[in-house]
Amino acid sequence: METRNTNGYLIIECHPDKQSHVLFADSGACAVTGSSLARLLSANPNQIAENHKIERIPLDSRHELWILKNCDDSPYQTVIEQLRQQNTELAEALSVCEEENRAKSSFLSSMSHDIRTPMNAIMGMTSIGLSHIDEKPRVLDCLQKIQTASTHLMSLVNDVLDMSRIASGRMTLSEEPFSLADMVHDITIIVRPQAAQKHQSLQIEAEKIYVERLIGDPLHLRQIFVNIIGNAVKYTQAEGSIRVTITQRYDDQHTKEPEKIWLDFLCEDNGIGMSPAFLEQIFVPFERVNNSTINQIEGTGLGMSIVKSLLDRMGGSITVESEEGNGSRFHVSIPLTTVPNTANEQPLPTGQTVLIAETLDSRAQQLAEYLQDGGMTAVHLKNGTEVVTWLTEAQYENRMPCALLVGQELSDMSALNMAAHVRQLAGKDFPIIMVADADWVQIEYRATRAGINGFVPCPLFQSRLFATLSELTYKAQQNSGGAPDLELDYSKYRLLLVEDNALNREIALELLSLTGVQVETAENGLRAVEAFEQAPEGYFDLIFMDIQMPVMNGYDAARKIRQLPRKDAASVWIVAMTANAFVEDIRLSREAGMNEHCSKPVNEDRLHEILRKRFSRKEP
Amino acid sequence: MQPYQEEYIANLKEITALASRSQTTSYSLSEYQEKLQHDRSLLEEKINRNIDLLRDGLFPLFDRLFEAPPEELAELEEFANALLNGKNELDGGLFCQIYQALLSHARHTKNRNAIIRCLYWLGIGRHHMCTKMVGIDLADIEHYMSQMRLCFTEAAAYLKYFDEIDDIDTKGYILRSRANTALGQFKSASAKIRLTRQTLQILRDEGYRENAPALPWDRYVYMTHQQMASSISYCRDHDMTAQDVTSIMESAHIVHQRQIEEAVGKQDAPPIRSAFSCAAIEYYCGMFTLEALLGRMEELMDHADTSRFSQENMYAVISLPAFYCQYLREYPEQLSGREKYLENLYRKVISYVEAFPKDEANEQIFFYLRQLSTTFIETAHSISYGDFQQIMLIHFAPDVYVHSQVVGKTAAVLCDVIVSEDSSFFDDIDQIQQIQQPAAKRQAVLDFAMNCGVFHDVGIINFISLFTRTARQWFDEEYEIIHLHTIVGSKRLATCASTRDYAAAALGHHSWYDGTHGYPDVYKRLECPCRQVVDVVGLIDWIDNSISRAWLYGHPQKSFDEAIEGALLLEGKRFSPLLTARLRDKAVVEKLRQTFVSARREAYRQLYEARSYA
Repeated sequence: METRNTNGYLIIECHPDKQSHVLFADSGACAVTGSSLARLLSANPNQIAENHKIERIPLDSRHELWILKNCDDSPYQTVIEQLRQQNTELAEALSVCEEENRAKSSFLSSMSHDIRTPMNAIMGMTSIGLSHIDEKPRVLDCLQKIQTASTHLMSLVNDVLDMSRIASGRMTLSEEPFSLADMVHDITIIVRPQAAQKHQSLQIEAEKIYVERLIGDPLHLRQIFVNIIGNAVKYTQAEGSIRVTITQRYDDQHTKEPEKIWLDFLCEDNGIGMSPAFLEQIFVPFERVNNSTINQIEGTGLGMSIVKSLLDRMGGSITVESEEGNGSRFHVSIPLTTVPNTANEQPLPTGQTVLIAETLDSRAQQLAEYLQDGGMTAVHLKNGTEVVTWLTEAQYENRMPCALLVGQELSDMSALNMAAHVRQLAGKDFPIIMVADADWVQIEYRATRAGINGFVPCPLFQSRLFATLSELTYKAQQNSGGAPDLELDYSKYRLLLVEDNALNREIALELLSLTGVQVETAENGLRAVEAFEQAPEGYFDLIFMDIQMPVMNGYDAARKIRQLPRKDAASVWIVAMTANAFVEDIRLSREAGMNEHCSKPVNEDRLHEILRKRFSRKEP
Repeated sequence: MQPYQEEYIANLKEITALASRSQTTSYSLSEYQEKLQHDRSLLEEKINRNIDLLRDGLFPLFDRLFEAPPEELAELEEFANALLNGKNELDGGLFCQIYQALLSHARHTKNRNAIIRCLYWLGIGRHHMCTKMVGIDLADIEHYMSQMRLCFTEAAAYLKYFDEIDDIDTKGYILRSRANTALGQFKSASAKIRLTRQTLQILRDEGYRENAPALPWDRYVYMTHQQMASSISYCRDHDMTAQDVTSIMESAHIVHQRQIEEAVGKQDAPPIRSAFSCAAIEYYCGMFTLEALLGRMEELMDHADTSRFSQENMYAVISLPAFYCQYLREYPEQLSGREKYLENLYRKVISYVEAFPKDEANEQIFFYLRQLSTTFIETAHSISYGDFQQIMLIHFAPDVYVHSQVVGKTAAVLCDVIVSEDSSFFDDIDQIQQIQQPAAKRQAVLDFAMNCGVFHDVGIINFISLFTRTARQWFDEEYEIIHLHTIVGSKRLATCASTRDYAAAALGHHSWYDGTHGYPDVYKRLECPCRQVVDVVGLIDWIDNSISRAWLYGHPQKSFDEAIEGALLLEGKRFSPLLTARLRDKAVVEKLRQTFVSARREAYRQLYEARSYA
């Protein structure tokens, strides 16, 4: 017996151009509508819909199942439920497929754009270069642009390969000891030039770091961090700011396992930010922020997805907060295994004072804390003039600090200008260590000439500070005690000192003896030529040549040596050591075949600089 | 002093006289040229002699400095002090070299008093170098300012041990160093004022005074007030505090009162400098309007005696107009109605400069002219900035004037050759690219090249003494300072409409085509809107320096043919191959050779006429 509480079912055939009609009706439908089957089959479905509560379920593109609701105990209920479920799943699967398809189409479209962009640059620049082949700077400029475009093209291909490797499960993570300081330093070197190009302020700070030696996969960690910071640089406007902080924390669950530690990485920028909709898609492969502001920004849209996949594999996590127009904030946490810190090779100058010349209070405070940890006392000044005053008084009162740590810029002058004066004031061995964000390779020449003899890169790590400080203070101590200079150990090299003045010879010998180099002397140019001629080939590595000498002057002697028919005559370094300081004198010494010029009175730093330049040395 | 030192000083004085050359009224043009040639030979002879004196006398002493007896060191110091005294600078570069060596010796022997004395004098020497850098941004010269300041700072640090130092001179050096720590440019004007204020407190401190009653404390205090009063133009700097401005006001008042008293005593007119300071202070305090201040300045300038060349009159005729122009630059609305006055003011300055005694080696006038060159304003009918600079060159650096004219004319000739082969060669210059008519385009290129050449060395005016009165080759440090002439010249030219287009030539004429060498770093060839002309000027400048001014750069003098060969050797490195390619054409080389000769002759004729007229 059918009741009015039973649901009714209709199958409606829909025509886009014609009126729909009822294809099938069950008894429930007749009961609910109070119509005969024949009447229902000829009824207008729209009229039925107007008078009854209907649930419509699409069956295919042309058919719909209508449920005329009255009660639940239809014999088709289970089948319909299953159908409904399947339909939902199919719709979801279709949506996923369509989304993936859209993303892949978009990826292909953007990849072809992204590949075409550098390819266009390569082809265009090649063509410009060829048409200006006589203009060397123009060609050089084109080649540099081609190099940039090629590098970018390579990174695109690498990203795609990486993603493919992760997706296919072919990528394995390594477990090896590494230095956090080295890794962060490498990251800094990679990302800083990108930020500098856009005149952005990129601050990378290492905050609370308990253990610097860790076990993990440094290569992929670097990839994660470079990707995140690289994105921040890309999606932050010129002159914007990016701040990266790296800290460590012990996991509560692992308090009894000090070998486990979490590395927290936070990257905040004030760039273009992301919409909530995009934020949901950020880790989906091939997704990129798409708006007119950044359409010119290159990228595959794989970076964040690679980052997420790598972090998942490492047991880490990543969270993102962002607001469109107001920048983004990426927070990464990674569990790592620690390796106990090793002690410095040289002892730290515990109990001594270190002078800090730094404008940034936060940097000075961090330095002071590290120094305090190492048992040293810190004095902090911000001006070059204050530093010189303080050091003059300290020297006069015999309470010189064991070292000067100097930032890159001071309130009143550049650190290099101040360092040059302090070097004269405090003598050749006094450690002047630059602590700066700069790339040492870029500033090394100017810094060493100004008298800086050590460099600690920022972000600041205690291990690096202590290693440089202990090495230089130990060396200064050894030198003041007359022991051989360990860093400047050139004992395998031999030089010829040509100097007619006995006292000058003695002073130079004393200075050179600290380096361990083997020194032979000659009292005039002729003796020098004879000594060189009589020595076996390659015997002398360097010749310091006075210019004004009796019998034969330095220019003639250098010329004669260069003309000798032996292989080392052309290659041996000859350094003019003379009081003649005119520009022309430097030119004359070069014309006579000398490699360098060292003015008198002998500047000890210059002497050491020449030795360092000539003989291979450890990088700071 | 040793005989070689006395001879060096005597030569320096003769060289100064020869370099400034006497009036031409009694000579015909050919006699004038003959005289110039003769003077030039004498000059070179003296310079070579001085170089030999240093090589044979001074450098051997440097060589054995640590074993030199005290008497010899004392003579060396006496020699240095003759090279630079309070008023005149005979050879500031050598002065610094000697004091640097003496300081090394003092540090080596740990002689405290000698360290303090050498630091003071080295600081003074560097200060003289810094005064040549007026008008250059602090960022470009911070190195020199810091070098100077740190010498004074280190010497002043011994103030803490004032009580235990017995030597009265050393105490004086400490106090003077302390006062001098505020010399030069600062990142913050307030810091400069604060330092001067602290110095005043020290100088007024009875504790110090009782410890050294023989020192001229009042003079020190007065000079420090003068120093403070000279900072008046900083009053409106954003970081100045009310206390800073008050300090300047007090000092300006004290200096003014004292000068009025002195003037009354001498039955003289009240001094112009302090009268201006007082008026300016009243303006900065809101008691005067700018209109009133400018009016007061006009009165002071009008009362200046243009027939006398005292410090006071030089200040009134040249420096005060520089400040006047500075106000008009800052407040251009004040220029309206003052154009005529300004035009007359420039005329007065030029007449004054032309009447300035030729053999007078007074650094102060150069300092004031640097100030005016920095603040100069062009009006519709005033002398153009370019012409003003030309007059300065004719009067104070005739060699540079001749060189600039030669470079301008020869650059134009080379450009003419290029344009006849490739009319679009100089189309990197916008205004030239827009010209369609070939003859007009050619003329525009030639005019542009001529002006670039004529103005390329305008920055040398800042370093006149290094170019015209250095009686020897340059030291490395001086050579580095000379590099700044490119930056100064470019900045100067860029400030006025009539010369703005040629600023790039001043900036880039010492750069290398391949970018590997040369200076300054700020010149980026590929970014320069007229790099082809700058390349031309760089090439012709190098050739002319090689054949006529080689000694300045420490190179042996070359013949014209050797210079052309030299340029070809530097093809693609220092010089554009597009230009040096033309130097392989014998006809072009011959044309250039003739232009170098005729242009030089013509420049000397202009010089003769200008001087006869003056």
